[in-house]
Amino acid sequence: MNVAKLSAFLLRRPGALIGLALLLVQIVAILFAPYIASFSPTDADPLSSTLPPGGEHLFGTDELGMDIFSRVVFATRVNLLISFTAVFVSLAIGVPIGVVIGFYRGFLSTVVLRIFDFLQSFPIFVLGMALVAVLGQEIWSVAIVLTLLFVPMFARLVRAEVLSQRERPFIAAARCAGANDLQIMFQHILPNAMTPVIVQISIAIGMAILLTAGLSFIGAGVRMPSPEWGLMVSNGAQQMILGVWWIALFPGIAIVLSVLCFALLADALRDLTDPRLQGDRRARTA
Amino acid sequence: MHAPLDATPLLELDGLTVGIGGDAAPILNAVTCTLRRNEILGIVGETGAGKSLLTKAVLGLVPEGLRVLGGDVRFDGCSVFDRRNEDLRDLRGGKIGLIGTNAKALLDPVAPVGRQIARVLRAHARVGESEAQSRAIALLREVGITDPERRAKAYPHELSGGMAQRVVIAMALVTDPAVLLADDATLGLDATVQAQVLDMLVQRCRRRGLGVMLVTHDLGIVRNCCDRIAVMREGELIEIENVDAFLRGPRQAYSRSLLEAAKARPTPSIARHTASERPLLQAEKLVKIYGGPFTHQVRALDGVDFSIRPRETLALVGESGSGKTTAGQCVLRLTNPTSGRILFDGEDVTDLSAQKFKPWRRRIQMVFQEPYVALNPRWRVRDLIGESFRLLDPMSRGERERRISALLDAVHLPSSLASAFPHELSAGEQKRIGIARALATDPDLVIFDEPTTALDIRVRAQIIDLIRDLQSRRGMSALFITHDLNSVRSLAHNVAVMLHGRIVEYRSAEDIFATPREAYTRKLLDAELPVEDPPGRATNVSEAIAV
Repeated sequence: MNVAKLSAFLLRRPGALIGLALLLVQIVAILFAPYIASFSPTDADPLSSTLPPGGEHLFGTDELGMDIFSRVVFATRVNLLISFTAVFVSLAIGVPIGVVIGFYRGFLSTVVLRIFDFLQSFPIFVLGMALVAVLGQEIWSVAIVLTLLFVPMFARLVRAEVLSQRERPFIAAARCAGANDLQIMFQHILPNAMTPVIVQISIAIGMAILLTAGLSFIGAGVRMPSPEWGLMVSNGAQQMILGVWWIALFPGIAIVLSVLCFALLADALRDLTDPRLQGDRRARTA
Repeated sequence: MHAPLDATPLLELDGLTVGIGGDAAPILNAVTCTLRRNEILGIVGETGAGKSLLTKAVLGLVPEGLRVLGGDVRFDGCSVFDRRNEDLRDLRGGKIGLIGTNAKALLDPVAPVGRQIARVLRAHARVGESEAQSRAIALLREVGITDPERRAKAYPHELSGGMAQRVVIAMALVTDPAVLLADDATLGLDATVQAQVLDMLVQRCRRRGLGVMLVTHDLGIVRNCCDRIAVMREGELIEIENVDAFLRGPRQAYSRSLLEAAKARPTPSIARHTASERPLLQAEKLVKIYGGPFTHQVRALDGVDFSIRPRETLALVGESGSGKTTAGQCVLRLTNPTSGRILFDGEDVTDLSAQKFKPWRRRIQMVFQEPYVALNPRWRVRDLIGESFRLLDPMSRGERERRISALLDAVHLPSSLASAFPHELSAGEQKRIGIARALATDPDLVIFDEPTTALDIRVRAQIIDLIRDLQSRRGMSALFITHDLNSVRSLAHNVAVMLHGRIVEYRSAEDIFATPREAYTRKLLDAELPVEDPPGRATNVSEAIAV
């Protein structure tokens, strides 16, 4: 895929362009947070508590007097670090497991599936609290909890897809060409099974951001005063009824835009990776 | 042939033009023809000729995005396009019945078929549920379903393909239509079932005096069922003629090429063998049982013996479920036989491990049935053809490119196709890629699984010619798995007829076509609908029509 083709592809899809723009905003926020933010994200200033947006504090301040704009910008680092680590580590572990247990349907595969059942039936928040008690209240603990949740999800998704792909005639054709099991699994089946996974990545990143917030809320996640969108929303939610809307609103918008960004990108990525969906069917003469 | 009793047209197409509009070429271009009472009109053309769109347009059902740009369709003297929706509903499934391809997919999977037929009737006539049911049952009996009371309660998945097709025909007939549109109604049915269904359909229509439009890509069907033939090409109706006159000599060059392509090629010259030459492939007492000791067992292969000598072609002929595909899979070790032996070039390869069998893969290759699904949709042609080079014979990139374009050349494709994806190719090109892929390792034996099904007439003839040509040039042996007797005539030296996992007759192709011994072989041969008379034998459908 060359640059000209890629830009033509993007121009046909405004959604992909918006997704790319949002991603760029987030990358800038991550790289240049100290230059963009005019305050430290963790410095409390009791004298300027709950100031409304405007003036010196663009998004206002929370009840401890911390600048919300700075916190929203710095939180991009924390949130995307947790979400990306969790999702991509789960992908790297879950997808190969899914391919193997879909391809070989023996006793061992059943055992792996039952372990997944066990992991997925465990309440995520109880698991989170237990892990945090053991590992300490670090952002890495949150990432590990999320990984434990996402590995079975990706593995099951891939397995379901592999089950249908492995019966298709081109697999038999590959065997005739001399391909062994490993080559069939990872060169033939996997690329054809990835489409739903690519879509799921965006959903998982969104889920990761929301779950991080949830874990922080029950005290099993990131601690104050670390800037994290979910934590800021849950803090602000208590103030909402008092008419102090800005504490929860701005990190909330950040979550929405971030999730939207990955959803749009996933859509474009799905089309881009599937040769059948690239509508430039060659004109042919009969 | 049958003379129409009534010369007044039932259905008139007058310069019908359908397309997207604007500068784009119309998909149906000024189609003009008439259908009379008690007439069967065969509409023939290749994929993309606009046959299916024509049947839809007659019902006023032009797909979204397309418009009627000109012309008219008149049923009983009034235009279909001027009618209001209620009138159109009365027409669709009422006065004009439609029989589609793939009957099983057309039926509602969650309703008994009897009720589905009754539902159609009640949508068009004021009849009570019980009367509609009894009419449905009577009609099921009429279309040749045994024990119709019980079958009416069956769900579509409990019926065979042939029975489902009969149900769909009953559905189309239940409202006593004046016109019947059959769009490739027997596609995908076994030859014997196809002959029975067509036979029944033709008789019913004759008895009721219907006008029938029979859309097909099989000239054999037209010859044996139709009064007149209309040839379509790229949306235009280029020739309309009485079938007899057409078979004597079509006026248009395109029609002539279609007719030529549908005829069988002369039997290939018998490969000369010395008695001492040992068979390339021998299958001895192959048995394949599906299902375990505690579940229902299916004997897909039940003691099958056959052998193929070098440069020889054996055809395994039989209907779906006769075990012919399983036999091919056993030879390729895609599945392991329950018992029996497979000898290749004198060596027992039955129990070799996958790793040990790998060198043999180079010598035994397969061309898969459905060309598109047997090609990995995410791989380019270059990688698809070159896969076995990569896996079996490591070679430099340049050498691989050279061999790939040589292979594309061997199957008469331009080497520019190497960077195309399978979905960018036509069905014929996909089939050729499948063949090129099998030839990549220069095999001694190629298994062709249904090499000619679901292909257009001319593409089918091209593929047959290609296989004949490749065989004579490369001197390879072949195992054909097919139910298309026409291609067997053109390609095979020996024929093995399979039924329920056994070989019932196994002789040379000439002998088996001239003097079939077994009743089942005769039944298979009778079901063939050739475009030309094989010497000394009349086809049964044309006899049935003549009565």
